Amino acid sequence: MGFIEVWYLIIGNPVLNVLIALSQLLSGSFGLAIIVLTIIVRLISWPLTKRQLKSSKTMQDMQPKIQELQKKYGKNQQKLQQEMMKLYKEAGVNPLGCLWPMLVQIPIWIALYQAIMRALATTPENLLDLAHRLYSWDIVNQAIPLSSKFLWLDLGQPDPYWILAIIVGGTMWVQQKMTQAPAVDPRQQSQSRMMLLMMPLMFGFLTLMFPSGLALYWAVSNIIGIITQYFVTGGWGYLKFRSPSQST
Amino acid sequence: MKQPKILFLIVIALLPLTLVSCISGSAQLAKGWAGTAVHEGIIYVGTADGRVVTINSSTGNLEWSYSIAPVTAPSSGLACGPTLAPTAIYGTPVVDRDIVYIGTYSGKVLALNTSARGEDLPFPQARYGEWEWDCPIANAKSNAIVADLAMSEDALHVASSNGRVYSLDKGSGDENWRREDIPVLAEKLWASPVIQGDTLYVSTLDGHIYALSLETGELLDWFFESEAGFTSSPVIDEDTIFLGSFDRYLYAVKIGSDVPMWKFPEEKPAGNWFWASPIVNEGIVYAGCLDGKVYAIYAETGEELWQFESQDSRGKPAAIVSPPVLVGNLLIVANEAGNVYVINSETGDGERIKNRENSDKSTIDAQIRAPFCAQEGLVYIRGEDNQLYVVDIEKGEVSWKVNLTIEE
Repeated sequence: MGFIEVWYLIIGNPVLNVLIALSQLLSGSFGLAIIVLTIIVRLISWPLTKRQLKSSKTMQDMQPKIQELQKKYGKNQQKLQQEMMKLYKEAGVNPLGCLWPMLVQIPIWIALYQAIMRALATTPENLLDLAHRLYSWDIVNQAIPLSSKFLWLDLGQPDPYWILAIIVGGTMWVQQKMTQAPAVDPRQQSQSRMMLLMMPLMFGFLTLMFPSGLALYWAVSNIIGIITQYFVTGGWGYLKFRSPSQST
Repeated sequence: MKQPKILFLIVIALLPLTLVSCISGSAQLAKGWAGTAVHEGIIYVGTADGRVVTINSSTGNLEWSYSIAPVTAPSSGLACGPTLAPTAIYGTPVVDRDIVYIGTYSGKVLALNTSARGEDLPFPQARYGEWEWDCPIANAKSNAIVADLAMSEDALHVASSNGRVYSLDKGSGDENWRREDIPVLAEKLWASPVIQGDTLYVSTLDGHIYALSLETGELLDWFFESEAGFTSSPVIDEDTIFLGSFDRYLYAVKIGSDVPMWKFPEEKPAGNWFWASPIVNEGIVYAGCLDGKVYAIYAETGEELWQFESQDSRGKPAAIVSPPVLVGNLLIVANEAGNVYVINSETGDGERIKNRENSDKSTIDAQIRAPFCAQEGLVYIRGEDNQLYVVDIEKGEVSWKVNLTIEE
């Protein structure tokens, strides 16, 4: 069995079938099915998210100490890195921890992209291919064909009005801003600013290129992320935080 | 903090690449699976490179070919903009004397005259009865024509992906009428319409059968509604419509009735959809299924007479996409894996036609999805490799094949 077959067996086909079954349960609304699937994915990845949020909160609390180190070793980057890593280790925080929830979601994005394109079956070949991937569940087979309409969107096409791109980019910026600690060093500050903008811009751009069904997943996932972050870390985090250079 | 940032950047850079790598498998382009038609010793076929090709059935020589204008294929995901692609053709050519009609995925219906095309005159030659009709998009996503054209004495009936049904004058291509006010037809309309008497029957992917006046296009009183959508084009025998459904049943519906006469199989559903149109002969329905089986069913009762499982070269069931064809009392069945079977229509005993070069391989070295036809003991099959295969039933072998891709 090759990688492609394993992929479809373990991830591709289950996501496709669950999405179609959800759509049937939700009065044939494919858009609602994507939203519910997003919630399910966020629930499954909750242990990872929780750990990341806790670590984010700890890092937030450590901010005065980090700023102190930045002031102290600002000119010696190597030493600064060493001291910061030491500090993280003492606090039991993994600075890479924030990446895992995202890495875990990448296969889901790919599977979802494929599922959207397959489920909406824009060509006869797509529809025929779909037949080979559906489980024998009645609920799945009775849901076909699916309507691609949801609100103003055609879920198989990018949003022509850019509304979703703005929502995806905006929510991603807010979510990142809530967790990204401001730097004291001017060089690091510009790097941080770039990082803060890069992801939202990248995903905003991807939203314009990919089916709006996938962008809907990103948007809902971001909104859930913001809400959980707000409640777990107890507030807006760094969103309301002013860096020392800004406050002077 | 540098390490996480670098990793972050790598993730960002890899993400689009990862997504791009999966595009080809998901957003498949329409390629078409036009079937074959034989008329007065000439084989007519739509090809994968967007042509209508005619082949002399005795010699295997090319008579003429006509290239339909390519289309702009939309970009998908991070693909680099739209590109030109051959027009996909799904419908089987319809031949009426010296005119061949064909519908295309680019939303056109063409009437091609065999003499004018043989002389390679510029298209269309009105004096030869040639014309081209552009289907309007009409606020729909697409005007693609996937269904076969239904021909009556003086008109062609076209079902379009824009959800409308059109009647065109055979001689001029002028619209006789159009039916565009049926809301449930507003999405894909891919099943081929069929004519019975003075009525045109249209089935939809969302599970309706409509009856339209052939003369005026008016909706008649009767329609049928099913819980699941219909996958196959309908077939009518006397006053009963037979068609496959997404719920993995084959339906028999008496015209005028609100409830199905029967659903097959009686107990649990089949292994997959009945995608191919069934055929009916002397009270028996022969239906190919995507579960790899062909079923013979009593048309009156829905009881199973026999079933036959088709396989791929590894011995696993392979989907039947093309409708079976009856030659005398022999049922010819081709599966997606490229195997062709000759089955006794009474007993269900069948034999696979072996590959001449390697008997372990499939009958032909390509997938079979297109409808095929038979005449005088020969079966004309267009493979997905864009080759025309001619299978001799009596000899039980592929007699000859011809490449339909023509270099400019």
